[in-house]
Amino acid sequence: MLTTVFRVIIIYVIVLFLYRLMGKRQLGQMQPFELVLTLIIADLATIPMAEISVPVLDGIVPLFTLVIIHFLITVFSKFSTKFSHFISGKPVIVINPNGIDYKALKNLNLSIDDITEAVRGAGYFKLEQVQYAIMETNGKMSVFPKSEYAPVTVGDMKLQVEKSALPINLISEGKILKNNLEVAKVDKNYILELLKKADIKRVKDCLILSVDKGGAVFVQEFDKAYKTFNVEPLGQVQE
Amino acid sequence: MTKFMWFQMISIFVILGLLITICAVEDKLVSDALYNVREYCYQIENAVIENDGIKNNVVNSLVENLEEKWLSDERNLCYVVNHKSIQEIGVEIIKLKTYIEEDDIREFSVSLELIKLYSEQYHHFMGANFKNVL
Repeated sequence: MLTTVFRVIIIYVIVLFLYRLMGKRQLGQMQPFELVLTLIIADLATIPMAEISVPVLDGIVPLFTLVIIHFLITVFSKFSTKFSHFISGKPVIVINPNGIDYKALKNLNLSIDDITEAVRGAGYFKLEQVQYAIMETNGKMSVFPKSEYAPVTVGDMKLQVEKSALPINLISEGKILKNNLEVAKVDKNYILELLKKADIKRVKDCLILSVDKGGAVFVQEFDKAYKTFNVEPLGQVQE
Repeated sequence: MTKFMWFQMISIFVILGLLITICAVEDKLVSDALYNVREYCYQIENAVIENDGIKNNVVNSLVENLEEKWLSDERNLCYVVNHKSIQEIGVEIIKLKTYIEEDDIREFSVSLELIKLYSEQYHHFMGANFKNVL
């Protein structure tokens, strides 16, 4: 049993490392070759865990080989669009201004139900609201609505609005986030001042404290309602 | 190139190096261990003919040496080879000792032939050749 425990730890660490090496895309939008890779890795990793007579290397070597293959495919895909299209396919327009492209639909082995479901998923309940729908290579549907059905944006209204700024968390669960202090170019005294303004006595009592470039502060004490107020703009915050 | 891309590139080369090393080490370990086994088998065969039987000190000591050598090689082989695919050799070596005690030359010869067969045919069954790949 102890052997299994150690083996599981070894394999887990290696698989985790390999997934990190392959990038975050593995976890979300998977291309067909990445899906295949994920399935095989999951299967391979369990063999040396379950079978004591199989050396750990018998599990690790195929994993390493897969990573090399993945790396090569990724590199070749970057250099050659043709190769990339061969491996991952290309985005296909399934709805165009004339309506549903049935031929494209059949090529993708999709049904009308699949299309309407994907369109609904994008927030449009009528097909006539859609100008274009594109089936992406990762299997997700991108929907481009007709102008009259598109959500109104600030740009459309030609309004002058303040540039939005990313709030920076300075305290999270009672702990000062030192890296974010550097990003916001503020120090601990600045935080203490904000806490004083929010009537919070200690850093460890603060659930979250965030501030954006414009000086908008969001602060919440543990088990209490949040407060917002404005202070002097940070000015030097890196967006 | 970003830091992550450098990390990725270096890791891939390290992994590639590891793969090549592991494959080379496996081939060397397996070849050496099986060669040793075969050599001992031939020596035992000759000793049986020269001493006209198996129940004598020469054959006994050769089998002891074979067992000792195999046990030390097997320990290293277990890092790279499935234990099940090599355990038969160990089992047959143990049998040799029993047959010496019983003075059963017929079974002794069968076991010796089996050991030779396993050691000679291992690469045929497990090695990297076209048939095994397919």
